[in-house]
This record gives sequence, C-alpha cells and structure tokens, in this order.
Amino acid sequence: MSTISLQDKHHDNHDDHGHDHHKETFITKYIFSQDHKMIAKQFLITGIIMAVIAMLLSILFRLQLAWPDKNFPILETFLGKWAEGGRIKPDFYLALVTIHGTIMVFFVLTAGLSGTFSNLLIPLQLGARDMASPFLNMLSYWFFFTACVIMMGSFFIQTGPASAGWTVYPPLSALPKAIDGSGLGMTMWLASMVLFVASSLMGGINYVSTVLNMRTKGMDLWKMPLTIWAFFLTAILGILSFPVLVAGVVLLIFDRSVGTSFYLSDIVLGTEILPNEGGSPILWQHLFWFLGHPEVYIVIMPALGISSEIISVNSRKPIFGYHAMVYSLIGITTLSFIVWGHHMFVTGMNPLLGGVFMITTLIIAVPSAVKTFNYLATLWRGNIRFTPAMLFAIGLVSFFISGGLTGIFLGNAALDINLHDTYFVVAHFHLVMGSAAIFGMLAGVYHWFPKMFGRLMNEKLGYLHFWITFICAYLVFFPLHFLGLDGVPRRYYAFTEFEFMNKWLTVNVFVTWAAIIAALAQVAFLFNFFHSIFKGKKSTQNPWEANTLEWTTPVERLHGNWPGEIPTVYRWPYDYSKPGAEHDFIPQTVPYSQTMSSNLPHDFEGNTEAEEIQKEWDAKNKPSTETAE
Amino acid sequence: MDNILQQQDLKFDAKPKKFVVWLFVVSSTIMFGGFTSYYIVFAASKGKGHGLVLPDAFMYSTAILLGSSIFLFLATKALRRGNRKSQQLFLWVTLALAVVFGYLQLQAWSSLFQSGATLINNNAAISVIYVVSGMHLLHIIGGLFFIMSSLLGSYKGISEEKAIYRQEITSIFWHFIDILWIYLYVFLLLNS
Ligand code: HEM
Ligand SMILES: [Cu+2]
Repeated sequence: MSTISLQDKHHDNHDDHGHDHHKETFITKYIFSQDHKMIAKQFLITGIIMAVIAMLLSILFRLQLAWPDKNFPILETFLGKWAEGGRIKPDFYLALVTIHGTIMVFFVLTAGLSGTFSNLLIPLQLGARDMASPFLNMLSYWFFFTACVIMMGSFFIQTGPASAGWTVYPPLSALPKAIDGSGLGMTMWLASMVLFVASSLMGGINYVSTVLNMRTKGMDLWKMPLTIWAFFLTAILGILSFPVLVAGVVLLIFDRSVGTSFYLSDIVLGTEILPNEGGSPILWQHLFWFLGHPEVYIVIMPALGISSEIISVNSRKPIFGYHAMVYSLIGITTLSFIVWGHHMFVTGMNPLLGGVFMITTLIIAVPSAVKTFNYLATLWRGNIRFTPAMLFAIGLVSFFISGGLTGIFLGNAALDINLHDTYFVVAHFHLVMGSAAIFGMLAGVYHWFPKMFGRLMNEKLGYLHFWITFICAYLVFFPLHFLGLDGVPRRYYAFTEFEFMNKWLTVNVFVTWAAIIAALAQVAFLFNFFHSIFKGKKSTQNPWEANTLEWTTPVERLHGNWPGEIPTVYRWPYDYSKPGAEHDFIPQTVPYSQTMSSNLPHDFEGNTEAEEIQKEWDAKNKPSTETAE
Repeated sequence: MDNILQQQDLKFDAKPKKFVVWLFVVSSTIMFGGFTSYYIVFAASKGKGHGLVLPDAFMYSTAILLGSSIFLFLATKALRRGNRKSQQLFLWVTLALAVVFGYLQLQAWSSLFQSGATLINNNAAISVIYVVSGMHLLHIIGGLFFIMSSLLGSYKGISEEKAIYRQEITSIFWHFIDILWIYLYVFLLLNS
C-alpha cells in the first residue's frame, strides 16, 4: 500500500490553482488555515474577544441604570463626547444595548459557539480528515472576522453605532435621519450582518455536507454523538432561516439608501412629511422573526448537544433516552419555524392567528422539557465527576429550566400583552438563551481544551469561575422578572422619570453590582484560558475517559487528524459503566467481539449470527444465567 | 511516520462538494421565498399587486435563459462522450446567451421605468419586481463564474474526474437559476 504525505492530499482536494510547492508557513498554518481545528480555534478566540467587548458594553449601560444621576468622569476619558461630563448620553445608551445584543446573539453565541465546536468536533467525532470544503470553511471565518471589524468600526465614526435595538425595527432603522444611530452606523450594521449571514451559511452548508457524506465506516446516523446531532440540526436550521433575514435586510437597505417604501408609510420626520407611502413595518417583523425565533434555537441547540456529551461522560452513565433526545431536537427544529408570531402578539395581530401561534409556542415547550428530564435522569444516581465542564453543563440545565418556565408565561398571548417589552422578557431570554448558551459554550471550552491545545486548564480557577458566574447570573437576571411584572419597560434610558418605577432603583443598583462581580469573575477564566494554552498541564490522550472518536487522535493534533487509517466505529458513544465490562467506558472503536462479557442482546441489532456466537460464549462462560434456555 | 495517509484517502471525492452546491441552492431558494412571501403578504393586506403588464423583454429573456440551459446540457453530454472541443463550443454558447439574458433584463427595467413603474414607488409590489430580478441577476453573475471555471478547466485539460465535477456543479447551479427565474416570472405574472 503506497503512502503519500498529507499536504499533498489536501492540496489535491481543492482547486488546482497551480501552487505546487506546499510547505506550511506561518500564514497558511495560523492565519489562512484550512485545517478545521485551527479554524475552530480562530472562531473561539475571536468569539471570546467579542464576548469580552459585549460584556464591557453591558457594564456601561448597567452603570447608567443603577446610578442615573451620578457622574463618572472616567467615562468621558474613554468615550469622549458620548459621555460628556461623565454621563452616558441617551443616544449612546441605545447604541450600547443594540451592539451588546447583536454581538452576543450573533457573534458570540452563533459564530463563536457553532463556529468553534461544529468545526472542531464534526470531523473529529465522525472520523473525517476535514470538512467537505476546507476552503469554504476558511472563507467562512474570514467573512466572520470582517463582519466583526465592521461592527466594531461603527464605534469610531462621528454618528456612532446603530441604535435601533438588535432587532433593528423600521421605521427607526430605515430613516437615516431619525436618530444619529440610524445613519452610517446602521449602514455598517447591515453590511456587517450581510457578511455575517454569508459566513454562517458557508459554515452551515459545510457542516451539513460533512455530516451526511463523510462519516467513517460504521458511523451510521444512530451512532453519532448527540453533539453532532445538535450541530447538524442547528446547521439545517440556519440554512433554512438565515436567507429570509437576508431578504429582509435587502429590502431594508433599499428603503434606506434608494428611497423605496417596503417598510415605510405616513411618516412625519420633525416637520418634514416623507414621500414614502404604502409600506408596512410589520412586514419587517415577520421577516425578522421568521429567522429570529429559529435563531434563538440556533444559539441553544449546540449548547444542549455539548451538555449531553459532557453530562454523560461525567456521570459515567449512558445518556438517558438517546433516541428521545434526537427526536426532541428534530421536533424543536421543525416547530421553531411556526412560532415566530409570539414575538408579535402586540402588533395588532388577528386574535385567531395569535391563538395559533400561542398553541404552537406551547407545543415547542414539550420537546424542550423532554430534554431537560433526560438530563436530570442521566445525572440521577450517576457516578458523577464534578469537573469544571460538568459544573457548567449542569448550570446550563438549571438556566434552561428557570428561563424556560417564563417562556410559557410569555407564550400566552393574553399575558404577553402585559409583559411584552418589559424586563420580564429580558429576564426570560437572558436566562434561557444568554446564560444557558454561554454556560454550554464554557462547558465545551473546559471539556475540549485538551483537544484544542494539548493541555489542561486549571481546575481550581475553573471552580472559582463557575461558582461566581453561576450565582451572579441568577442575581443579575432573577430580579428583573419582578421589574417586568411591575411594568418597567426595557430599553428606557431615564426610567426614573416615571414615578412608579423609582422604587426599582435600589434593585437596579444591586443588579449592577452583581453584574460587575460576574464580569470580574471572567478574568479568572481569561487568565486560565490564555495561560493554560502555553503553561497548562500536559494532557493525556483521553483525559476524561470518554468514548467518542476525537480522543483516539494523537495529542499533537495533525492536519488530517489520524496518522494512520481512520478508525472504524462499532458501537454507540454512550457505553459507560456497562455491567460486565472491564472498564467503566468502552470507546466506539472497540468491536463487540472484544467485549463478550458485557454485550447485551439488543447490541446486535438483529444480527442473528452475532447473537448465536454470543449465546455460545455465554453458555461457556456464564453458565448460571444463560443455560436455562 | 506521522503525516502519512493511506492511498484510499487520496481519491478526489466530489460527492460532499456537490452536496455543498445543492445546499446553496436550497438557501438561495429560501431567500427568494422571503421576497415572494413579502409580496404575498403585502398584496393581501393592500388588496393590490403590481398591477402591470410585464414588459415583453422578460418573455424573451426567459426563452433565452431556457436556451442557455439546453446548451449547457449539451456541453455536459459532450464532456461525457469525451469530446472536449464541442464541450467548449457549447459552453461558449451558454455564456453568450447568459450575457444576452442580462442585457434583456436591463432592457426590461428600462421599459418598466419608462412606463412610469419606477423602482422608487409608493406601490412596494412594483419595487419588488426590480429587487427580485436584480438579486436574480446577481446569481447569473455567480453562474458566469461557474461556467468560466468549467471552460478554463476544459482548456487546461484537467483530469476527467475533475472536469466532470466542475461541469456538474455548473449544471446544478445554472439549471437552478433557470428554474428560479421561471418561478419568479410566473409568480409575477400570476400575482399582478
Ligand atoms: C420553553 C419554550 C419557550 C417559550 C414558550 C418562549 C416564549 C417566548 C415568547 C412568547 C417571547 C416573546 C416575548 C415578548 O417579546 O413579549 C420570547 C422572547 C424571547 N425568547 Fe423565548 N421562549 C422559549 C424558549 C426560548 C429559548 C430556548 C430561547 C433561546 C435559546 C429563547 C429566547 C428568546 C429571546 C431571545 C426572546 C426575546 C427577543 C427580543 O424581543 O429581543 N426563548 N420567548
Ligand atoms: Cu421566539
């Protein structure tokens, strides 16, 4: 059998543009890399940087909410005219919440999360050398990077960043002259998002094609780890929903820059009557939320998949209800396309239609609940190892429950009419999406750090990071429910101007302090992360004693993943603590012929020959149980 | 020893890459689905569509685009027979027809514009005509790159396997934008 070096294969795979000398330089290895593992790290580190930025933005507007009458001269030093006299200006406050939301939802929890873990794990856990199109994969990262640069660039222009909220509802977003933030900042927001969507699509298309076409021998769909199922369905969701956002954005761009009236009608701006006639801003909401609702599941599903894997590994138990987990992911994927109307109950929607959206919304809570119960059942009487990754995964379950419950309130149109656009909604989605998905992402970072960098992160710092973040996240978001129930609206700069809201000032002070402490706790993570890349303890090949394929690759991380042949898969990934087995885990690469003492009849999936052999073996070795037949 | 691969991995595998093109087709279809849903909801709520007789140029351009698809099909057949000369010829014809299509679309815009149905319009349904045909035209430009890459490969004499791969992804994409245009045209005809 002839052998050829890896670089050649790689280069054979994409188009022959004539660069025949293929030595890896710094640029091809670290910058324009086409290796899925390097691209994953690029997504992760960019995602972390964006997360830190978005977190700092949130601290800025929390300062305003807690101390609306106080001056912080230091702010003026950093922000100049946007915080004249040390007070954040109303326009800038709106820009802050807008960019915070946009970065967190799209750049951190979509690109940072899927981009990192889909890229890292799809080829590694399925037994593939790389993605279907490594070139497209590289392009996907660079589009994302450019989108980040443009989004951040809007902080450096005269009129400041977009400030119409992360949902950029017209007419505010469609009229460049309406507020400062609707000018150039909004144009940059749209340009950035177009690139972002292109990046997401390139990534998602690659993930789907890889999962469907490039699994190793023996890896049928029902032997895939739940992580892969989650990434796969997330990518499908993205492919089916992001293009609709593009359609909406294109029309918005036309309204802004050309003068069409897709979303505009009957507008008086100052004293000027605008010529636009006939459009409807509600149509933007439909197009936006047709993506927007699936988007929230694009954010949470990878985190759920990651937790499934981590919880099973660290409970040393098979995941409870593997099939139910897959079917509920499929259920969520399908249902998430028919619930978008629950964001629009107060747009004058026909009550009958509202009722339909209400029912579909309540139905989607069912698969979500199935997943929750399965996590709890997996943990139940497990032989739990409380690694930092495990704690974060359990944290995800906790947030998913406490945030999911309020979703059921909001899903009722009659209740939502009161709660819409209040802090109750803010509390809901920061728990169920924000905190849960971030915890899933952090769990993944702690768990797969050894696979990415060949070293382990420090556990003590991991525990410190977990406990402070976990407690503070609840302290920040839980009180917001009560503000919302009392009718305090979201996105208000000067809420103290209203008599009835004054009493919430003390709560806001408390929340801001909790947010500051939570932010400080992230320093422990950042230090741990970057320090461990260079100085962490060297990892062994399979530090968590897990079954999945990525732990059969060498610690050194080769381009092409496995030095020799790609391993064959014989069993599902969750054979932990199987009765009769020698160890408490059996990797997917171990054939049943080597585990005669622990095989169960259903392992053979109706293969009668194998069943016969097993019976004979049992008769010889376990006389007490099987001879009766 | 590391950095070594088995021979069987080295085979050029077109299947996953072709699948990538298919998935792109799906997402692009959905984007146009977004535009046409906008149109449907808009028209339903206003009780009126664009209300125009579409310019004849759209009819001719549709015929031209259909023709280009036929020539592309012939090019694929020629390549399968191993006849690269006629493959190249047919690809050139496809390319030329694509350019004619683009010209006719511009023609259609100009006659719409002259009839008073301008892009900037208080009837957004009329603006949609420009937007969808414009976005479709962007796809045509993308398609031209596919055709040219197939053509270039043919002249450079790349291996049969790769030549067929390039020809196939060109076909998937081009027949898609052909069908897409027919869908858009019929949609606009039916929902006036
Ligand atoms: C148990 C199932 C869930 C139900 C029934 C539900 C229901 C709702 C409803 C009705 C709203 C609209 C509230 C309003 O604006 O008045 C809402 C908002 C939201 N939900 Fe959920 N939700 C659920 C789960 C989730 C999940 C899993 C996520 C994310 C992972 C999520 C993320 C969001 C976000 C981001 C918003 C706010 C968007 C905005 O207005 O800025 N929800 N939810
Ligand atoms: Cu929703």
